[in-house]
Amino acid sequence: MPPIAPNEDFAKRYGIEAVPESVRRLGELVSRPDATVEEITKLICQDKELSDRLLRAANPKAESEADYDFTTVEEALNRTGVGSALLLAMHDPLLRAVHRTFLTMLGVGLKPLMTPVLPIEGEHVLCEIVFTGRATGAAALRLTPQTALRIAAQVLGVSPADLGDTAAIDDVIGELSNIVVGNFKSNLCDAGLKCKLSPPAITRTSNFKLRSNANNQAQRIAFHAPDLDLFVDLNVNPWND
Amino acid sequence: MPTKILSVDDSKTIRMIVKRTFAPYDAIVSEAANGEEGLAKAAEKPDLIVLDITMPVMDGVTMLTKLKEDPELKNIPVIMLTAESGRENVAFIAKLGVRDYLVKPFKDEQLIEKVARVVPLQKKVA
Repeated sequence: MPPIAPNEDFAKRYGIEAVPESVRRLGELVSRPDATVEEITKLICQDKELSDRLLRAANPKAESEADYDFTTVEEALNRTGVGSALLLAMHDPLLRAVHRTFLTMLGVGLKPLMTPVLPIEGEHVLCEIVFTGRATGAAALRLTPQTALRIAAQVLGVSPADLGDTAAIDDVIGELSNIVVGNFKSNLCDAGLKCKLSPPAITRTSNFKLRSNANNQAQRIAFHAPDLDLFVDLNVNPWND
Repeated sequence: MPTKILSVDDSKTIRMIVKRTFAPYDAIVSEAANGEEGLAKAAEKPDLIVLDITMPVMDGVTMLTKLKEDPELKNIPVIMLTAESGRENVAFIAKLGVRDYLVKPFKDEQLIEKVARVVPLQKKVA
């Protein structure tokens, strides 16, 4: 058995969950600007779930596999771009971070919605955290003002009627976002993409657009529980260009 | 004598949760919103410091480093309470000298368990 690396030793001592091996390996590979499509294809092909998700992402309009225009992992990667592999790899850690945070802090079991959902209309509370370093990008959590109020009251153990000013609500939403994105950032770091987070910026807005460009892969995930809908928008550029 | 705990976190929410967690115990929880305030309050010699990492003005790593350099304060036990769980960062911080490390999100019971391993914690007598 190989000796435990010192960093792992500390993580084990404090009971810190390890980043999944497939995520670590894919992250390390994608973080290399010289990584070839062949190398990434080979790695993704070893993981059926990742392969299936990539094919679904490359064929967004298909209702079943029979309708796929891109049927191999290589074709799908050429269609979506190599950077999308990083989002795919980070998808599960992000889902887990959101689920764990809301379950632990609120006792709410949020479930990701796999079907497309309409974004929040009208004013919403938006918390955005930017990460910079080997990977650059941003994560944004959005929810309705009513949901934000309910969550804040529950976390603070007070009645919603007692939360008169928005500062206390914003602090709770900012901290929950910080926990989710902090966990996600730690996974990026463990995959070799060292980066730092900005403090959470909270605004109330009716206007929000998912940032995206050629190298900046973007994804929106909707979460649902009774009386609670949450959107997490994520964009990552693994090559910092 | 009540156990004196200093909570250093820029989030008022977390400071409030820490305070609420130890309310049933014979403990006094004081608060600081960043490392600079934390160092000033550490001079009052708390029995334990619960410390966040990412904070404005002075972050938790800088505060911990300064604390360990101060002969008067270096023996105050520190438990990190942070969303930072990257392997390299955890190892770096652990080597600076912390008694334990709790990753957010956390349950009240986890914090109580870790704190009780370091300092005496008695339930308040009704």
